[in-house]
Amino acid sequence: MNPSIIGQMAVSGALMGLVYALIAYGFQLTYATSKSINFGQGELVMVSAFFSLTLTNLGLPYWAMVPGGLLFGALLGLVVERTGVRLALEQKSEGWILLSIILGLFFFSAAENIWGRDDRPFPTPISADPIHVFGVDVTRLELSVAVGVFAIMGLIELFKRRTLLGKAFEAVSADRDAAELMGISATRTVMLSYALSGTVAALAGILVSPITTVGPTMASALILKAFSVAVVAGLDSGFGVVLIGMALGVLESLASFYLGSGWREAPSLTLLILALAVRPTGVFGKAVIRKV
Amino acid sequence: MLIVDDLHAGYGASEVLVGTSLAVKQGAVVALIGANGAGKTTTMRAISGVLRPSHGRVLLDGKEVQGLDASRIARLGLAHSPEGRKVFGPLSVEDNLLLGAYGRLPKFLGFKAGAQADLDRVYELFPRLKDRARQASGTLSGGEQQMLAIGRALMARPKVMLLDEPSMGLAPVIVQEVFRTIRRLKEEGITLLLVEQFAKSALEVADHAYVMERGRIAVEGTPDELRRNERVLAAYLG
Repeated sequence: MNPSIIGQMAVSGALMGLVYALIAYGFQLTYATSKSINFGQGELVMVSAFFSLTLTNLGLPYWAMVPGGLLFGALLGLVVERTGVRLALEQKSEGWILLSIILGLFFFSAAENIWGRDDRPFPTPISADPIHVFGVDVTRLELSVAVGVFAIMGLIELFKRRTLLGKAFEAVSADRDAAELMGISATRTVMLSYALSGTVAALAGILVSPITTVGPTMASALILKAFSVAVVAGLDSGFGVVLIGMALGVLESLASFYLGSGWREAPSLTLLILALAVRPTGVFGKAVIRKV
Repeated sequence: MLIVDDLHAGYGASEVLVGTSLAVKQGAVVALIGANGAGKTTTMRAISGVLRPSHGRVLLDGKEVQGLDASRIARLGLAHSPEGRKVFGPLSVEDNLLLGAYGRLPKFLGFKAGAQADLDRVYELFPRLKDRARQASGTLSGGEQQMLAIGRALMARPKVMLLDEPSMGLAPVIVQEVFRTIRRLKEEGITLLLVEQFAKSALEVADHAYVMERGRIAVEGTPDELRRNERVLAAYLG
């Protein structure tokens, strides 16, 4: 077998894996502050991507469209928090699971009605011409995924470590009641985590869409794998999601190449089942994931 | 000053506080003593808003604060150092202290400069915290965590401070140190409500004391009066 083909598969798989990792990182942000995650996160990715596409079609240049799309993602995150999560958490109920799924379904039908059912190309000024590195062809477009993922994760980590608001975010994650006693509003911190999670989801959509196209069904393909990555790495694993995401992306890419594209989903499901059976806290996780 | 009037609170259907009333005057140290389960910690939690009272009033400097979020009450000048210390384990000692002053510091950058005077004061009070400033607070000993919890509450420059069971689980020599600190804070004019299992030590430092039984105040008075009270003597100071 030609090793350069394996290398090629591994690299494009790993880059796709970074997108899963980014969405999984969004799960971690809200899990940290509120022990809840948005099961409709894939729809946030998809709707934000469609919205960004509309901005582009309205004539906005790429570098103006990106902040617009991210802001829209943040707003959607806040909508999910306000309408789906807060009430359930206040009642100490697990109802956020169902509510966030329902909101996802709502976003899905809204997207179908507004933008149609077809997959559409997502124009980008970033070149898709291959660059030759170490015997492997990579496009600038693929590299932009890596740059975007590491940039936003780095910025959010910097925010958490260097600003007082970020430290307050960590305090709420560590002990919600004690943080309240310091004058930190836990409610606002949870809102912030959902806004950040929505921003991250929107960026995932903007980064992946030029490669995969935009369509209502992109959500379900992404979310299952992102969820596998989050669970396998652990919901409190920090950058652990990056390693697991890249590994999963590589496995997936190799499986579809050698076994046929029907086996594409096999690695993520196998890993998910293995992780739940062998190490439910995740490979890099600390806390036990609550059974929901 | 702090006034608590006919406070009722509980968990679910079970009411723990059934009409607790007490007052802490400006510059006074007030002890709240009583058996386990009498409602001392619940009183503290209902005052600071971690637990929402079902009935009654809490006045902080004359302003009604019952029913507000704990974070609002904290920003109005009440610092509650909770039972079990509750330091932010993954965060450094210094970050814990800075978060104590959260309400009045800039939220993005330049916050350390704004809190430097208070940090210096806490480090002077507890030199060991300065040595461990960069260490994750979860790795501190129980005594050091208690000092951090007190220091963190002081960082807020509170009008009233609630201190819940500061001696819990500590070695006797550390307990003495904690009480030395409380005495020093008292000399500096702190307004403090202190819940303490070591009733004798609490009465030595307090200006006034309340004895709680089954969710309400059973006896109150100066430490001398309580020491002369046969029933209190037998039950709590024996």
